[in-house]
Amino acid sequence: MRIAALIVSCAVSLQAATTYVTVAGLGGEPEYEQRFTSLAKDLDKLLKSSSPGARVETLYGPTATKAKLAEVLASVGKTSTAQDSLVLTLIGHGTYDGVEYKFNLPGPDVSSIELASMLDRIAGQQLVVNTTSASGACVPALKKEGRAIITATKGGTEKNATVFPRYWVEALRDTASDVDKNELISALEAYRYANEKTARFFETQKRIASEHAQIEDTGKGEPVREPSAENGEGLLAGRFVLLRIGTAQMAAASPEKRKLLERKEGLEQQIASLKYQRAAMPSEQYRKMLTELLVQLAQTQAELDK
Amino acid sequence: MRRTIVLLLAAASMAGAQGSVAQCEQQKHYGRLEEARKCYEALTFSNSAYLRAEGFWGLEMYQDANNQFKAAVATAPENADYRVRWGRLFYERWNKADAENLFKEALEIKPDHPGALLGLAMVLSEGFDAKAVEFAEKALKADPKLLEAQELLAKLAVEDVNFDKARKEAEKALAISPEALDAMAVLATLEVLADKSPDAWFAKIAKINPVYAEGYAYTAHSLILNRRYEDAIQYFEEALKKNPRYWEAHSELGITYMRMGREKAAREHLELAYENGFKDPATVNSLRLMDSYKNYETFRNGEAILRLHKKEADLLKLYFEPEMLRALSTYEKKYKVKLKGPVQLEVYPDHEDFAVRTMGMPGLGALGVTFGNIVAMDSPSGRKPGSFHWASTMWHELSHVYVLSATNHRVPRWFTEGLAVHEETAVSPEWGDRLDPVSLKAVKDKKLLPVTQLDRGFIRPAYPMQVIVSYFQAGKICDYITQRWGFQKILDMMHDFAGNTPTGNVIEKNLGLKPEQFDKEFLAWLDKQLATPLEKFEEWQKKMRGMAAAVKEARVDDIIKVGLEIRDWYPDYVEHGSTYEYLANAYLAKGDKKSAADEFERYAKAGGRDPSSLKKLAELQADLGRPKDAMATLDRLNYIYPVADPEMHKKMGELALGQGQVKVAVREFEAVLASKPLDPAASHYELAEALVKANEMDAARDHVISALETAPGFRPAQKLLLELTSKKEKR
Repeated sequence: MRIAALIVSCAVSLQAATTYVTVAGLGGEPEYEQRFTSLAKDLDKLLKSSSPGARVETLYGPTATKAKLAEVLASVGKTSTAQDSLVLTLIGHGTYDGVEYKFNLPGPDVSSIELASMLDRIAGQQLVVNTTSASGACVPALKKEGRAIITATKGGTEKNATVFPRYWVEALRDTASDVDKNELISALEAYRYANEKTARFFETQKRIASEHAQIEDTGKGEPVREPSAENGEGLLAGRFVLLRIGTAQMAAASPEKRKLLERKEGLEQQIASLKYQRAAMPSEQYRKMLTELLVQLAQTQAELDK
Repeated sequence: MRRTIVLLLAAASMAGAQGSVAQCEQQKHYGRLEEARKCYEALTFSNSAYLRAEGFWGLEMYQDANNQFKAAVATAPENADYRVRWGRLFYERWNKADAENLFKEALEIKPDHPGALLGLAMVLSEGFDAKAVEFAEKALKADPKLLEAQELLAKLAVEDVNFDKARKEAEKALAISPEALDAMAVLATLEVLADKSPDAWFAKIAKINPVYAEGYAYTAHSLILNRRYEDAIQYFEEALKKNPRYWEAHSELGITYMRMGREKAAREHLELAYENGFKDPATVNSLRLMDSYKNYETFRNGEAILRLHKKEADLLKLYFEPEMLRALSTYEKKYKVKLKGPVQLEVYPDHEDFAVRTMGMPGLGALGVTFGNIVAMDSPSGRKPGSFHWASTMWHELSHVYVLSATNHRVPRWFTEGLAVHEETAVSPEWGDRLDPVSLKAVKDKKLLPVTQLDRGFIRPAYPMQVIVSYFQAGKICDYITQRWGFQKILDMMHDFAGNTPTGNVIEKNLGLKPEQFDKEFLAWLDKQLATPLEKFEEWQKKMRGMAAAVKEARVDDIIKVGLEIRDWYPDYVEHGSTYEYLANAYLAKGDKKSAADEFERYAKAGGRDPSSLKKLAELQADLGRPKDAMATLDRLNYIYPVADPEMHKKMGELALGQGQVKVAVREFEAVLASKPLDPAASHYELAEALVKANEMDAARDHVISALETAPGFRPAQKLLLELTSKKEKR
């Protein structure tokens, strides 16, 4: 049942409009300025090339001000509907004074409360990817049902410049992040990819990790590092389509193939249920049943592809 | 109320019976432990805080002793003696920092306080500091009758493998006191180390103190320093027969058992020590480490036993197991030695765990250590990428296993280390440590030690980095002997060392040269070998600084001009910012891929290990249409840093498939999977494809199913599954 709901969500998200707003904040030093701008530009290029129909707004350099950000988000709010999606990505430095998180911009900074107020005026599901230092501190102000929040740090005390944004951009470029091979990169897949790569970076550099990414997408829970069914986090992020990297099969469905598609969906559901029952059955039996279902699924897909 | 009166009466009566600290120590000296205990107990009722401190200390009530010393020092801040004794308490209870501070405070009060000087010598001796001897001598100068200082000098000489001196120092101690138990223990130990009977000395000790476990424990400790672990175990056991409550010996014995892989016995002794209050860091760390053994997996293949951490076992086994088998088979033939029993190699991803496994303490500088047939070493994941060649370390340590076995653990350190260093480059000239600037400077400044004294460079370095220089020198000596006289001479020497023959005699007998003449001819050979770096080093350093500036300013033509001029002046320099890498990157900036590849290739052949430079080389080689070379380059990397890099294994797997090397491809795709890739479905699928090419259809089907388990809609895997299923049905 859960799988069926997921498929419907994917189908809806494909038809709805997605807006991507990316902001590279104040670097302070030329090295950071260049790094942040470059990441924002990379992301901009990637999104525009892979999602031709989407609205992509990227702010960097002296024009990436609080006023400009407010203007862009207000304009998104004017046209957004409940079926639409917004992805807001913040790259740069963030600060936390123990009370309030602020994203550093040329001119006045924008606080998490101000950001929340701008976002609350936009309809539809939202994903906020805050990759700045101290970004974990923005969660309390931003969390809301229908909004997934990913931050590069676990709180406001992780104040070093982060490496997470580099791997976040890489996740959207590298098809390896599409772990379930459905030709869609979800926010959850990208999060897991960037999180793992960030952890490996510190491990191979033999440095103590100065950042620990986290996610919160229920609107009422505490952010977690490892989203799972047990902690209830990751459901929204799992169905939040960030990027399409192929021809999504659902979109290609023709009436004559609907029967085959229904059979395929049924088999997918059976496989998902079987995986949940894995622990409760002998491994040989599980493997045998799984193989039978996978062969049937492969045969059905082959029919569909004809 | 009544209780108070009783206690007061008891105190008064005890005070009356109270002896001096010296009396208590005398009882202890003669092994009258019960009398000593009573004597110390009486001291605890003294009016003097200092005496109470000594009393509690004697009763092993350390916290109370500490409190009383604190009170004693507060009432008599100018009393240096109190501070020295308090320092000794800290020293005994493993707090060297506070002990050292108190000894220094005592010296501020009385600059030539013999006890304080001795205390500092003891603290320094723990770290094998060359200054320990100096302070012990100063203490003795301040008080020529200070027996402990004289005995310490004898012990330090034993550590320095200067047995003649040790004997003389011990005899001087016996001249101070004919009942000097530790001096007798030193003399007994010298007999044991020379494979002679120590019975006469131990009998003398027993006559004075029948329960003097410290003597046997000292011999055991010295045997450990000489890598004679099995013998050490026997002496620790003897010590514990004398005094089963000697917790320090339980701890040391436990650690020795742990080193030898006998975990049950190790745990028994360590726990006994711990439960009885002997909670020094080595005991605690060792117990903690043994608790973590549940996180390790053990694999056996013939005579090779591998113990790997679960988190990296699947990956490392792919490389460590075949390399270990190759090394064992090579050494068996080369050294003509058949080992008794299997060899166990333990690989630690956390360097501090390895250090504890080795010494009981963190902070060890070594990469690998051998205990008989057991080798413990760092995992590549425990070191910064590029800083460690694990295969080189493995071959180094396994050489020790054979040499120790062939010599029955009677081999000077310089020889076994030198041979192990020699073996690193014998496997491949690209392996092994390169000539480092410190060793080069030592050669230039004529700081190399005579061969007969080379062991001291390993044990008690006289200057920082002397250990590194000694490894280099010992390795070069073995290279020289092999080159001039042939490897058979190395084997002949090894067999002579087994008879406990001193270095000088072994050199003279086998090489026909007096040790002094050998040193002279070796140094002349070495000078010739290193002629260019020795002559050009200063100029090279100067020009390297200029080149670094050119790199910073991106002056590509200057980098190439200077780089080509100086590259071969010091070809062994492959550390970060090497000439090769500067040159290669400069060529890349000019778009000259071929020259860049040539420079990176020189870097690799010179022993360069930086993973990113080697990966760049592989990429260039592939781009230049040299896939076989690219594969060889990535294979080099497998011996350096095979961990946390699934992309590298994937690349190599693809190259291997392209070269028709399906077995290598399968291994590499297995490595991708074992590296916990971000895209497990794709990794299972790629491995399945390689397995199909290797005609391992069932395994291929298993992996394609695993791929689809993660990603049921993965089309290429679905296609492969249908193909494999159809083939299976036809079979």
